[in-house]
Amino acid sequence: MLMRRAGLNGILLPLLILGAILLLLPLLGIEGYRLRLLSLLFMWVALAGCWNLMSGTTGYIDFGPVAYFGVGSYCTALFMIKGGVPFLLSVFIAGWVCAALSLAIGLSTLRLQGAYFAIATFAAAEALKQVVLEGDRVLGIDFLGGAHGLTLPSPPSGIFFYYVMLFLMGLVVSLTAVIQKSKLGYGLRAIRDAEQAAELTGVPTLQIKVRAYILSSSLIGCIGGVEAYWLTYIIPDDVFNVMRTIQMVIMTLLGGMGTILGPVIGASFLILISEFLGAKFVYDYLIFVGLVIVVVILLMPQGIIGTLVKKRGKSPWLF
Amino acid sequence: MILFWQSLVNGLLLGGIYAACSAGFSLAFGVMGVVNLSHGDFVMLGAFITYWLFILTGMDPFLTLPFTLLILFFLGFFLQRLTINRLVGSPPIMSYLLTFGLHLVLSNLALRAWTADFRTVQTPYSGLTMNFAGLVIPYSRLATFIMAMVVILGLYFLLYRTETGRAIRATAQDREIAQLMGVKIFKIYTLTFALAAAITGLAGSLISFTFVIHPQMGLPFTITAFCVVVLGGMGYVPGTLWGGIILGLVESLATTYLTAGISVAITFFLLLIMLIARPQGILGKGIVE
Amino acid sequence: MAFLECRRVTKRFGALEAVRNFSFALRPREILGLIGPNGSGKTTLFNLIAGLYTPDEGEILFQEKSIVHLPPHEICRLGIAKTSQITMPFGTMSVYENILVAALYGQNLGMSKAHVAAERILTFVDLHKQRDEPAGKIPVPSRRRLELGRALATGAKVLLLDEVMAGLTPVEIEQALLLLKRLSTQTTLIMVEHVMQAVMGISDRVLVIHHGEKIAEGTPTEVAGRPEVIEAYLGKRYT
Repeated sequence: MLMRRAGLNGILLPLLILGAILLLLPLLGIEGYRLRLLSLLFMWVALAGCWNLMSGTTGYIDFGPVAYFGVGSYCTALFMIKGGVPFLLSVFIAGWVCAALSLAIGLSTLRLQGAYFAIATFAAAEALKQVVLEGDRVLGIDFLGGAHGLTLPSPPSGIFFYYVMLFLMGLVVSLTAVIQKSKLGYGLRAIRDAEQAAELTGVPTLQIKVRAYILSSSLIGCIGGVEAYWLTYIIPDDVFNVMRTIQMVIMTLLGGMGTILGPVIGASFLILISEFLGAKFVYDYLIFVGLVIVVVILLMPQGIIGTLVKKRGKSPWLF
Repeated sequence: MILFWQSLVNGLLLGGIYAACSAGFSLAFGVMGVVNLSHGDFVMLGAFITYWLFILTGMDPFLTLPFTLLILFFLGFFLQRLTINRLVGSPPIMSYLLTFGLHLVLSNLALRAWTADFRTVQTPYSGLTMNFAGLVIPYSRLATFIMAMVVILGLYFLLYRTETGRAIRATAQDREIAQLMGVKIFKIYTLTFALAAAITGLAGSLISFTFVIHPQMGLPFTITAFCVVVLGGMGYVPGTLWGGIILGLVESLATTYLTAGISVAITFFLLLIMLIARPQGILGKGIVE
Repeated sequence: MAFLECRRVTKRFGALEAVRNFSFALRPREILGLIGPNGSGKTTLFNLIAGLYTPDEGEILFQEKSIVHLPPHEICRLGIAKTSQITMPFGTMSVYENILVAALYGQNLGMSKAHVAAERILTFVDLHKQRDEPAGKIPVPSRRRLELGRALATGAKVLLLDEVMAGLTPVEIEQALLLLKRLSTQTTLIMVEHVMQAVMGISDRVLVIHHGEKIAEGTPTEVAGRPEVIEAYLGKRYT
């Protein structure tokens, strides 16, 4: 019964086995480069999964999630550096800060139709980046570090971050599964399918949208906080970079919006490609990404998972 | 006080340019409902066409305009036929994503081909300025502004005084009825997008002698176009003039009295505020889905 | 004490007055028919009651309380549900899930209670056989029943039915009428209809709307013979 409630049916057992393997990998000797790559992969699955939680389910394309990544990074960094607050607590508080911010932004922007919401969130993200970049200079203080960014205390070993990212990934994927079959999940899908009809059927559409947005944003903030400590050094151009939004969008789009496994497949695929094309072919990677978007939109708007599942006759929004 | 007037004049000139750069964006949205996020890249391409013609053949930038017009027209034509055509009638989200993909391809191909170096078009008359009542007005900016006005007036004339323009506007207002009246919709769509691309490329050429050009300059122009068009009213082409001027003035004043960096943030805040408080534009004539 | 009441409701779109000075009172468990030529303002009136539009003038009261400034989802929860002329199913969900959503949110139930309510409604509107079909892919009469089912599942005390008979065969109309008769023992109905035999046959009272104004009110027989009504539908030459 619980398996059916979670919507994963026959997938649950293989996933649990995979989870156990991932837990044991560092103990089996995976280290260094490979460990970092896996941790990076987990992070992106989590990020794409968060974006999917909001945009995949409601159909409201959020073009500003990087805002919370950046805010989460900076909050965590500031709490640790200026306040001496321990890491995990800093991340936790950063998540709450993002929740409050997303409440404000969400309430104002989610009233707009989907297309305008996309632009408004993009604008908000860029504006926040500018505020962090220029804030110190305009106010005449030295707090955010401007374009030079902030340096965090020395982090623990790579294994620590491996497990933290693994946990975050597991959290996001499980949340997606649980929400899918919950009351909230039905409300979100109703909004995506026919928003006005949903409103007329008693779904408090604004409230529901904001809830999904806050959930997604605060988790993104937490992930940003973890990455800040992992990298030890953050600058606005990196943690507020629109490329992060783009990656989140493409990974989910490619994998399948609104599905549970979509972000997993999409993120894995893209991370591997980017490792393959590497630093030498940065432009090529972006050109490739751009072409992927064009092809997916034109030929398989439901992504890999969505199209596969649809072919088998089931609803494309599962798995 | 003179600083204020100088700032005002700069803003006005800038605004006219912004308006010319944004008119194509409004046209594409008004007629086809397509939000083209690769819009700024047409500006970039126009600028680069002028640059290379200037560098390789010594042609005066103003003489390159017909070339830009033609090349971008065909580019728009092909993009429309191959990709955008399929998006008509889809939710706007799809056009966002697709055109963003196009943006990535276009800007990074350009980056690969021409490297990230900043370039400028320096003609013998580039630096000359005019002195009017104590205000400094560079001739190139003034010329660009005048050309921009010509472009906008030309577009206005095309849309409101010709048969084709009428067909375009009819399609924008009510596609089904236009079809019933004999307008060939997909021809109009192709024409509109090609026209939008051409005008935008032309604007790009115009700005090549007042702005620094590089392959990544497109995205900021897309954002600017968005802001201008939201201010002036989405889909209401004459509104882009007002939108452009307002944005130009705000940016100019902000750059003068605050810092250069913060003016970019102001563009975004302005856009955000407009979208939330008055999505139909200052004049109230915009299309709000 | 009127169950649902509109007092002098006016709604303008630019220069056009879609609904003008419209007043009526609805009694519990009656079937009220709303007829009028195309474009007379029927759907606008429904949209006003359901909360999609706000009236420019006038009041709308449900159980003596004003609902004019409430958002549609709250009006739905209070007990007024509307079906749409052009059905708007939740396309990617199954027929059953569509009704489930209505039960979950319209009646604000938890999952298990909502499942119970949804099963009951599914059987009532006779969609049991199609329960797992994607709601976007079922034939028109089924979609109508789904619209109805969804509206019912919200626990509606008042149902605003917008042209539910349009496009149905005579046999289907008969079945629909039976369904509605059964409904009316529990629920109050306002029906907008063009299918005259249906609405005239089943309604307790009928309102006639023309150019946004109420031009006649009474039992179906009383209204059918009125010259203003005939004139509205057929024009002056026929009176």
